[in-house]
Amino acid sequence: MISWYAQTVIDYVVVGTVIVLAMLGIHKVLRKFGVGREAATGYALILPWIIGMLVWTIGPFLVSLFLSFTDYNVLQSPTWIGVDNYVEMFTDDRQFWSVLRFTLLYSLLNVPLGLFGALATATLLNQNVRGLGAWRTIYYLPAVLPAAATALLWRWMFASNGIFNFLFRPFYSLFDLEAPAWFTNPDLVLPGYIIMGLWGVFGANTVILLAGLKSIPRDLYDAAKVDGAGRFSQYVNITIPMLTPTIFYVLIIGVIASLQTFTQAFFIDHTRRAGTFMNVYIYQEAFERNRMGYASALGWVMLLIILLFTLLVFRSSAAWVYYEGERA
Amino acid sequence: MVTLEQSRPAVKSKPQRRTIRADEVGVRTVVYGLILLGAAVVFVPFLWMLSTSLKQESQLFAYPPEWIPTPPQWHNYLDAWTALPFNRFLFNTVFMTILAMVAEVFTASIVAYGFARFRFPLRNTLFVVLLSTMMLPGILTLIPKFLMWREVNRIDTFTPLTVGAWFVWGPSFVFLLRQFFLTIPREIEEAAILDGANTFQIYRQIMLPLVKPALLAIGVLSFQANWNNFEGALIYLSTLEKYPMVLGLQFFGDSLSREAPKWHLMMAMATMMAAPILLLFFLAQRYFIEGLTVGGVKG
Repeated sequence: MISWYAQTVIDYVVVGTVIVLAMLGIHKVLRKFGVGREAATGYALILPWIIGMLVWTIGPFLVSLFLSFTDYNVLQSPTWIGVDNYVEMFTDDRQFWSVLRFTLLYSLLNVPLGLFGALATATLLNQNVRGLGAWRTIYYLPAVLPAAATALLWRWMFASNGIFNFLFRPFYSLFDLEAPAWFTNPDLVLPGYIIMGLWGVFGANTVILLAGLKSIPRDLYDAAKVDGAGRFSQYVNITIPMLTPTIFYVLIIGVIASLQTFTQAFFIDHTRRAGTFMNVYIYQEAFERNRMGYASALGWVMLLIILLFTLLVFRSSAAWVYYEGERA
Repeated sequence: MVTLEQSRPAVKSKPQRRTIRADEVGVRTVVYGLILLGAAVVFVPFLWMLSTSLKQESQLFAYPPEWIPTPPQWHNYLDAWTALPFNRFLFNTVFMTILAMVAEVFTASIVAYGFARFRFPLRNTLFVVLLSTMMLPGILTLIPKFLMWREVNRIDTFTPLTVGAWFVWGPSFVFLLRQFFLTIPREIEEAAILDGANTFQIYRQIMLPLVKPALLAIGVLSFQANWNNFEGALIYLSTLEKYPMVLGLQFFGDSLSREAPKWHLMMAMATMMAAPILLLFFLAQRYFIEGLTVGGVKG
């Protein structure tokens, strides 16, 4: 048993040493080839990232692209099957469409709702309230709770005999409904995830937006007051435009993170068919059904979707994000 | 040193001597009411988690729900801890978290220093590449990475979950630290260079102490990420004794209490898993929030 840990410590020390030596080596080599002192040091310092990018990002990226055109079950070597994986996905795989629909719906509802909720809360907290630090701590707590614990907690609260259904019991009896288990009911699984997701991320967004609000220079408001602008007009004409870079950041991070929901979904229940997230589906195809090729193709579709969304936000940002002065 | 509080001169509003109008009081009441309501929504689930973790199995589904279990079943925590080899899980978690965190913080700070302070061809292009790798979905490279670790016989070892950290796992950490290095005046280094200090000495003795708040910020973020790392552990580890806590938690919920979920034990486990992170948050709250807001506000 000790050897498990020893092996990792040895791997760890060896790789760490090799990296430091490589940094010193590249510096020497670059100097020999007449590269200036400053540039050589710069390259040497960023070397860990360069190696990491080549070996752990670009390499796997290309391998995954190759695998997406193959049939590969890990035991036999991959066989080239052209675009069959993609064809299967779009024409034959009914689960793919339901997974895609679910993931996109979750993202499209969760991100805007979370943003508006957080914006409203941040605005409230920015009204010179007493005990700001304490409020901020409470609001941020859910973001600190490990995703696994969050998911278990909400699975319990949303269970058919959980606290949520207790609260709604009078409502259910009024309409003669049976108390549902939210996460296993196909109609309620999406609202269930959205409520859980909002609870988890909304506080973090609030803290980011609050910091953004606090960094708006006060003299802008003073000037507006002199011009006779009311509270609402100040909010719309100063606060919102000045806050757009922060909103933009929250939006981008939110879209990328929500499309890649994994841990929560896995802890809720990854075995049922309704309400599966794309990343969970990819994991199942790759590591439970050993279809590495097909899973890679799914991953590429996912990448394209994420790129499309980020591009949309970026392209639209020119129209609505306001950068004060063009910072050189 | 730039911190949230210091970055902007505190503007103290003048002492409010004017008479407070009635509608002003109304507005204040609504503001505090809404803030309190929001805080309750955020906080009540935590109370429910704690409350459940101290209940007997028979009290779980009582109606109306009991918020304060009598008597509190403190032994639930011990029962949960001994239901699986959690001592070992805890050790594994700490082992992996520390190794990964040290490597991650070390390399991120070096790379950030390189990007912030040295001019070299292609620097800006490379930095844009670094930023864009943040957007790649992790799941895409997961399969090839798994196959690579399999090639070198490191599946079901701690190596994939720790050694990879030497290669800058978190480009966002580099970004955050670079922002901090950029705020330090160049004159400080120039003086040191005149005194004959080499790059390593400048980095170690001058730059690192100056960016200590940022180092602590990425330190806590890295600790949190590694402590909670579920996806990696799920894929690479298969022997029960090598599990970190988060995988033990999943194993318990998924197999040991599948038919009749033992919610009181699961909530006790979830609480124990969350406790170190929550504690760290209370101790180093400033750094959490700094790490969180730097991208959005200073970017």
